[in-house]
Formats: sequence, structure tokens, C-alpha cells
Amino acid sequence: MNELNELKDDWQKMTGSYKSGTELLKMTKINNHPTFKKLRLKLLIEVISISALLLVYYDAFDGDRKPLYANLLLVISMVLYIITGILGYRSMQNPVEGPDLKTSLRNNLSRVIGLSKYAMLFSLLYTVCLLIFFTSTIHFTKEKAFLLLGLIIILSQLLLWSYRIWRNRIKNLERQATDLESPENI
Amino acid sequence: MEKAFLHAIQDNQKIIFKVCKIYRNSKEDQEDLFQEIVYQLWKSYPQFRAASKLSTWIYRIALNTAMAVYRKAAIPINYYPEIPGQHANPENIDTEKEAKLFYALRQLNDADKAIIALYLDDFSYQEIAAITGITGNHAGVRLNRIKNKLKQIIK
Repeated sequence: MNELNELKDDWQKMTGSYKSGTELLKMTKINNHPTFKKLRLKLLIEVISISALLLVYYDAFDGDRKPLYANLLLVISMVLYIITGILGYRSMQNPVEGPDLKTSLRNNLSRVIGLSKYAMLFSLLYTVCLLIFFTSTIHFTKEKAFLLLGLIIILSQLLLWSYRIWRNRIKNLERQATDLESPENI
Repeated sequence: MEKAFLHAIQDNQKIIFKVCKIYRNSKEDQEDLFQEIVYQLWKSYPQFRAASKLSTWIYRIALNTAMAVYRKAAIPINYYPEIPGQHANPENIDTEKEAKLFYALRQLNDADKAIIALYLDDFSYQEIAAITGITGNHAGVRLNRIKNKLKQIIK
């Protein structure tokens, strides 16, 4: 018991390098946020590159010579991909979603699961539509088929990598929620 | 509102500091989490009702943020087989006592860390229950388990 009282004493007396009012004020602005800065940059790069592709693809990649369905699929999948990215970024800004830890973790978990499904689905859709667009008028030779296979393998790896990130995020939240609720911990 | 918020946080930043230290290992991750918590507190400040204790609200948001925010996969840490002594100070922890304290606390799971942090700051079972969402009874039984675990660790 003495050891625990000592721990309590140390915990309550703990000192640290505390922040000034100016430093705290800076922290209330999302622009100074370290995690969101990285996420924002990633999102910005994606939005700019996909928007640029959207603007130039028709002339640069002979959109007029491709079938209408290939053009439509590509544009729709690009727009959906961008929208999911923006919604995901906005959603990550609100990890606190309930009156207590248990409720908040459960709500957060449901939200992240939903978000991961849409993100994976639209990433897959974008990838498939991109392949459909570029292969819709190709006359396949053996070399071109191998090239396509290589491209499919690379894109599948990227999707798998994205899936693993989401899975780890969900697993982490599930573990937190279970640790808090589990009867084994009673 | 900004002034009142900054005043409230400045007076209670010890809570945020402790939550960061218990949930993150490296200085850099602790600083990032500190910033994240202050941002989340600022966002939820308009909903804060003075009827509840300021420290209760800060703890609720801080623990919630620490547990829910996605973190990079941690580099596996080989815990010392014994409690750190005077010369074992891998994270620039200020004192030997603090090193012992965090050595013990960081071996608990995230949910137990939340419960013990509140207990160490003298929150009642009912207050712990309100913050975590478990029942008061559950909190009491669970705290006994955590205390036993801690005793084993610091023996």
C-alpha cells in the first residue's frame, strides 16, 4: 500500500516544462497542428494531381478516341476519390464523439470502419476505372499484356498497403474499446 | 472566450502533460499529443458547462484524444527486467522517481492507464465511472486489479 501511496504522491507532485499562453494559443489553430499538417499536405497533393489529371486527360490521353463509358467512369471515380479524401480528413479532426470514453471509442470505431469501407471501395474503383480507360482501345500484344500485368501488381500492392493502414487503425480502436469494456478486466 | 480558455488550460496543463507522458513514449510524440489535446479542448470548450469540474472535462477530452488518435506503430521497446535505477534514463525523464512511476504505468493497457491516472489524481469511483463510461462498481473492482498489477511491477 505504501508503494501505491508513494506513486500517488509522485503523480500529484509531478512537474514539467509547461507552456506559455502564447504557445497554448498557437495550439488552438488547426494550421499549426502537426498531425493534420501532414494529412493536409497529403490530401492537397492528391487533390491537385487528380484535378490536374481531370483537366488534361481528355487532350493528353486521347479522351475523344476512348468510349464514352470509359470517360464517364474515370471522371466519376476521380471525383468520388477526392470527396472521400476530403470527408476522411474532416472526420479525423473529431476523435472525441461522446459524453464518456466508452461511448466515444465505440462511436469513433463505427465511424472509422464506415470510412475505411468507402475509402477502400473508391480507391479500388478509381484504380479499375483508370485501367479501363487506358486499356479500352488498346490492341493487346504479348508485351502490352505483360506491361498491364505489372501495372496491376503495383496498383494491387498500393491498395493492399492502404488496406493494412486502415486495418491497423481499426484494430487499435477495437483493442481500446474492448480493454475498457471487457468483463475479463473486471 | 479565448482568454478564459487559455487561463483554464494554463492552470490545468499539468493534467495534459501527465496524460501525454503516460500514453506516449518519446518526447516528440508527447509534444504532438499535447498539441492535439489542446486543439480538441479548444473545439469542445463552447460545450463545456461550468456545472462539471474543469479537471473532469480536461481529463475526459485528454484521455479520449490520447486513446482515439491514431499513432504511428511504436518501435518495440525492450522493457528493463528491473525497475530503472539512477543510471537508467532512456527518455530523459527528469527524476528517478518519475522514471519508476512511468516505467510501471506504461506497462498497463490503455484503458487501465486512464482509470489509474484518474485514481492517482484523487477522482472518486463515481467520477471515474462518469468519465470512462463504466459503472462505479466496475471501476472499483478494476482499480483493485490495477493496483495489484502495479504492486507486482514495482516490487
